[in-house]
Amino acid sequence: MVHTGMAKNRRQPYAVSEKAGHQTSAESWGTGRAVARIPRVSGGGTHRAGQAAFGNMCRSGRMFAPTKVWRKWHQKINLGQKRFATASAIAASSSAALLMARGHHISTIPEVPLVVSSTAFADGAIKKTSQAVALLNAVGATQELEKVKDSRKLRAGKGKLRGRRHRQRRGPLVVYEPEKDGKDLVLAFRNVPGVETCPVYALNLLQLAPGGHLGRFVIWTSSAFAALDTVYGSTTQPSELKRDFLLPSNVVAQPDLAKLINSSEVQSVLRPVKGGAISKRGVVQKKNPLKNKQVLLRLNPYAAAYAKEGLGHVKADGGKPEGKDPIFTEALHEN
Amino acid sequence: MTSQYENISSDLLWECVRGNNAFLVKRRQAGGVQFSRDFLNLTNKHSRKYEGFVNERAIGLQPSPSASMTLTTKIAKNANRPAKAFQTATFSAATPARKAYRGIVNSTAKKGYRADLRAEAVARASAVKLSLRKKRENPKAKLRGRKRVEAEGKKGGALGEVLI
Repeated sequence: MVHTGMAKNRRQPYAVSEKAGHQTSAESWGTGRAVARIPRVSGGGTHRAGQAAFGNMCRSGRMFAPTKVWRKWHQKINLGQKRFATASAIAASSSAALLMARGHHISTIPEVPLVVSSTAFADGAIKKTSQAVALLNAVGATQELEKVKDSRKLRAGKGKLRGRRHRQRRGPLVVYEPEKDGKDLVLAFRNVPGVETCPVYALNLLQLAPGGHLGRFVIWTSSAFAALDTVYGSTTQPSELKRDFLLPSNVVAQPDLAKLINSSEVQSVLRPVKGGAISKRGVVQKKNPLKNKQVLLRLNPYAAAYAKEGLGHVKADGGKPEGKDPIFTEALHEN
Repeated sequence: MTSQYENISSDLLWECVRGNNAFLVKRRQAGGVQFSRDFLNLTNKHSRKYEGFVNERAIGLQPSPSASMTLTTKIAKNANRPAKAFQTATFSAATPARKAYRGIVNSTAKKGYRADLRAEAVARASAVKLSLRKKRENPKAKLRGRKRVEAEGKKGGALGEVLI
């Protein structure tokens, strides 16, 4: 919510021309001419004569509800809310999972939050872009830089003509302490695609949570990281630079639900599980006793002995059939 | 006051990212399916149980370029050291499927590590293995009847004449 509001505060007013669609002396022809009563352009000699004008449904008429420069472009956001949002965004930038969820490529980063000693920046050590890139590579941000480079695309739509020709992913945000680290690094990092810089005293929600998504990959200089304490204070120690500001304290001390549920305090007051370890099976697949031997044995215990004796393979008869009694044949053919 | 517990739990993380994250794939088809591109997700489904980057411990199985299978496990204590957060083991293409399953289960489910994903891990290993198998080419069709006669006729000629 805070981000939505803040994102609106950099807008410039725009509007259509006050005169657009009204630069003609059209008048309605009234009734009786078998045409609609919309104002029509007077005169003759051109195609324009007799065409409808003014209305929002007319060709070359004015638009519906023409935009005005006095639209409410900006939004006031309470200072407390802005501070809360910024503090939350900083906290989120220290979670590797949230960084990954934002889409940062951090698998080669040694640690999150990533703090680089200020000695690396001392006395304008990072003055040239090549030095800045070398530093970023040294801390394992190579993948992230590659991601940004590969993501550069031509913007769809009119923004191309309005100074927003390309779109690309956001890379790391380098936060520095201007007094101790100097400002040379700003120029050094300026031309590295995707990399932004920000002094620790002016951290910006739009940079810490672009698009309203928490977890920007932030590279802190050690003095900037140390300065966070003075800028934001703690949950009990008020901030030195922001009047009446304490860090938001935890609403719940233990946010891990699984641990809460499994804690002995909770488990001890729950009633025991009904039914014990063996519960009645619901719908189970019927087994075919002709194919499944165990099921067959359950139904017919004799099957084991039957199979063992090989009774299924024993021939039913014993030997050849006896021949007919010769007396019988004789008797049959007797006339 | 520093709290004595970890501030960001998996549950909190999940509530932050379940609506939108870099791994999530949403489609209108099939009633709005939600899949995940997370490499630590065994079923590729977007859910609290399977989403690897949210959970403290997670297992991933991926085919690797050399026709083998890589088992990745997340090391919980290195959660904020991304470079050291994962351990990998490879199963070569020659490893029999059952041996691979046993290896996977022994190093994860049986070590008190995501026993709830045992079946999913084995199923994915099986699927990966299947995908790595080289497709056999269809045997060349044997020619029958006239076509065979013609083909052989070109070679020898004698048989063709006899039949005509």
